[in-house]
Amino acid sequence: MTLASLRRVVARLRALVSSSRADRELERELAAHVALAEEDFVRRGLPPAEARAAAERLVRPDRARELHRETRSFPWLEDLRRDVPYALRGLRRTPTFAAAAIVTLGLGLGAATAVFSVVHAVALEPLRYSPHSDRLVRLRAHLPADPVSGAPARSNFVLMTPADLEVVRERARLVSHVALISASVMGLAGHDDAARIGAVRASASVFPLLDTPPLAGRVLGRSDEANAADVVVIGHQLWQRYFAGDPAIVGREIELDSVLGVRARRPYTVAGVMPERFASGLTRQIWLPMPADGRGVLLARLAEGATPAAALAELDPIVRELGDHGPDVRYELAGEHDELVRPVRPALRMLSVAAGLLLLIACVNVTNLLLARGLARGHEMAMRRALGASRGRLVRQALAESTIVSAAAAALGVALAFAGVRLLHALVEREMRMDLVGQIAFPRLGEVAVDGPALAVAVGLAVLTGLLVGAIPALRASSATDVHDRTVTRGGRVQAGLAAAQVALATALLVAGGLVLSGFARLVGAETGYHAGGVVTFQVSLPADRYPDDRLLAFAETLAERLRGLPAVQAAAYANQLPLVALRDTAGGLWRTPDPARRGAPGGADARYVSHDYLGVLGVRVLEGRGLDRGDGAGKPRVLLVNRALAAREFAGESPVGQRVYVGRDTEPWTVVGVVDDVRQYALERPAEPQFFMDLRQWQGGMPLFPGGAYFALRTEAGVDALLPDIGAAVREIEPAASLFHVASMDQLVDQAISVPRLYVVVLALFAIVGLTLALVGLYGVLAYGVVQRHREIGVRMALGAARRQVVALILRDGWRMTAAGVAIGLVVAAAFARTLESLLYGVPPLDAVTYAVVAFGLGLVATLAAFVPARRATKIDPAITLRCE
Amino acid sequence: MSSGDRVELLQGTLDLIVLRALATMGPLHAYALAARIEQVADQALSLNQGTLYPALVRLEQKGWIAGDWQRTENNREAKYYGITRAGRKALEAETARWRRLAGLVDKLLLGEQ
Repeated sequence: MTLASLRRVVARLRALVSSSRADRELERELAAHVALAEEDFVRRGLPPAEARAAAERLVRPDRARELHRETRSFPWLEDLRRDVPYALRGLRRTPTFAAAAIVTLGLGLGAATAVFSVVHAVALEPLRYSPHSDRLVRLRAHLPADPVSGAPARSNFVLMTPADLEVVRERARLVSHVALISASVMGLAGHDDAARIGAVRASASVFPLLDTPPLAGRVLGRSDEANAADVVVIGHQLWQRYFAGDPAIVGREIELDSVLGVRARRPYTVAGVMPERFASGLTRQIWLPMPADGRGVLLARLAEGATPAAALAELDPIVRELGDHGPDVRYELAGEHDELVRPVRPALRMLSVAAGLLLLIACVNVTNLLLARGLARGHEMAMRRALGASRGRLVRQALAESTIVSAAAAALGVALAFAGVRLLHALVEREMRMDLVGQIAFPRLGEVAVDGPALAVAVGLAVLTGLLVGAIPALRASSATDVHDRTVTRGGRVQAGLAAAQVALATALLVAGGLVLSGFARLVGAETGYHAGGVVTFQVSLPADRYPDDRLLAFAETLAERLRGLPAVQAAAYANQLPLVALRDTAGGLWRTPDPARRGAPGGADARYVSHDYLGVLGVRVLEGRGLDRGDGAGKPRVLLVNRALAAREFAGESPVGQRVYVGRDTEPWTVVGVVDDVRQYALERPAEPQFFMDLRQWQGGMPLFPGGAYFALRTEAGVDALLPDIGAAVREIEPAASLFHVASMDQLVDQAISVPRLYVVVLALFAIVGLTLALVGLYGVLAYGVVQRHREIGVRMALGAARRQVVALILRDGWRMTAAGVAIGLVVAAAFARTLESLLYGVPPLDAVTYAVVAFGLGLVATLAAFVPARRATKIDPAITLRCE
Repeated sequence: MSSGDRVELLQGTLDLIVLRALATMGPLHAYALAARIEQVADQALSLNQGTLYPALVRLEQKGWIAGDWQRTENNREAKYYGITRAGRKALEAETARWRRLAGLVDKLLLGEQ
């Protein structure tokens, strides 16, 4: 049967298109039919004229035409062909309504499309660097808190050696591929801004695991690993930026500096180039073979059909034995995509809900507009019903109108979404510095675009909203049956309810926006412990082979001297890291007693090696005792400073100044000479860590001096651009082969640290303002309309002696009723869901009374203002005119 | 025949009746078809001849009948409809279904007594 039905559908569509031909065929057939009937009647004895009439009565050609037309194609589509031009004409006649409806709905659809683009690109779309990205996992270990050393519970990725990897590969069946990866940093010689590039040392098995073929050349293979060959595979971005996409790069040699660990510059042969999508979610641009004595994180691809739980169960005993871990260590297989998206999931949820609220407000707003419009045409509708139009027909016509509006709105919305995504790219720094932590990164930002799926969602939402928005007004308008009823008093309550609903939704949005804004203010206002203004920072990369550690120190001091001589520079200092730089160095921790056999404790205080004027340049306050000064050089008594957090932890109750302390396994004492303010070393939202500061000239050796390169800080009023040439000249004067990089003011670094929270605030504020505006306009609209409806009632009141202000109060009361109901509901809804925002609030309580109160009062105030205009208009009604009007 | 005794036809059943008539009588034009149906039903059917057209459209669109312009014996042109092979198969299947349905309705309506 279905073949026949299919044939029918096709035939119906064809008839829809060529309806005039179908009509001609029908006429021919009907004419023949009537002629045959007529012939018969004549044969039976009727005179010709009567025979003709009888034939027509028998055949009823007009009825036949009607039925034929209904059956041969899709009647509702035919109706649509007529409804659409009719609706367009109607909209053109009322351009303000059309514009208002399209813009309103366009804003809502635009917001929804833009947010969907983001959610899709970040969370829904699988990572593109491997066709199996949904089955890639890393092995993680969770260690419980240690009551002995005071270390908190923490989790790390499990590190393994290549030998361990072989064991795992042999014994694990539920993972099809395993590999080791180790993040690293390298410098590309010859380019200033290439001094720090993300690199990966990986076992050769990583490329079959990821299963992405190279764009040019080849990937790393087993022989590269076995021979510890100096080959690299480079990423697309690196290739384009520094080698202009030259295909001849394969086989050429490039010089790379190893930045971490033993510093050296070596030539490497480029074996291949990876395609652009290989960087999706990854930021690494250089891939090297892992040395035999290296260690890395275990990356695995689950076998076809294997679940993470089953694979974990299989791996658990193998890994536990290899790592000699106790029974209290718990393992986890963390999915790659999941790990990447997890930090931003709350924010994505918040953005989706906010966009949804805005779209709802827009829909309710347009529904009200359509309601008013429909009610005004009630008379016309009743007339058409009386003339025989079915209710369904009228409803379909009204829906055609609302669908056209939503289609136009969708076009506007998509344009807005494009602009929104561009704004997103502009607001969030894409080139993240690798050395900084506390950058709340937005993963896969570069992949966000208004593409196919987003457009499909836009179209789908447009169709849905078109129907949704048009449904109630269409049903109400078509229910008009009394042709004589010219007064349009129905619908007031529905409109009021919808206006209150808009206010409720806007309230919820405003509360969310207010809370996030408070959280952001708390984040930005946090005491950093240093003065970020007027400090310019940079790093210098020196040829690794010619600069061992002690020469590095000499270079740093020479450069600092030279920079102090610059007129714009007030002070110059250097250290092994800056605030917000992600380097943790415990140097064995700070202790009250010596112990040559001491083992490292994970929760130990952070060590900072600084030049003597560093704390002054950064504006860190000395709270007790003194800071470091020129006198604390090599060979002099060993002194250090502790910060407030460390003082509170180790020296509770007493003054640390003058006390003897020991660092790591060193049995020589240090003397604490001062206490300084807490510096927010890591993310702005984390509390300060316990730290101690030592002068670089008293550096004891034992570990790399400037891992990643020395950081220089200059106190100056001049900006980065003004100083850059002078700094560059000074650097190259001392060492022509040096390169200058990561030049930024401390302000810029702090700014970058907050760029993503700031993004959330901006977006949410934007949505909230638009939502509020729409709600206010909706409120105004309903009140203004009400005034028009009730102009006779108001006229009567005024004729009976009502004062102007009583009329104003009448309208205002209506407005307050709607606002109060809306605000009350909105606050309750917001309170119910505010807990989900917690991670974005940086300590502000989700039920912060101040925010809620401000929103409630603010909205009440603004709504009153919005109600004033129609209220005043009401007082202009001349009772003499209204009473005479009929 | 008073109109009270005339029975209104359901949409689907008219299609079936037309198919049957064409299967039995061979190709017919609309007028002859209407006459044939009235004849068989012994005037008990209320059939406005125009109501044949939707049935003809449906059947032709489904491919169960095919229309062709021919000349009658009086040399008038008329569109003759003939049943197709697919139509014959459909007629069989639909007739069987109708019989099953009629039997069931019969049982349900009258069996209770």
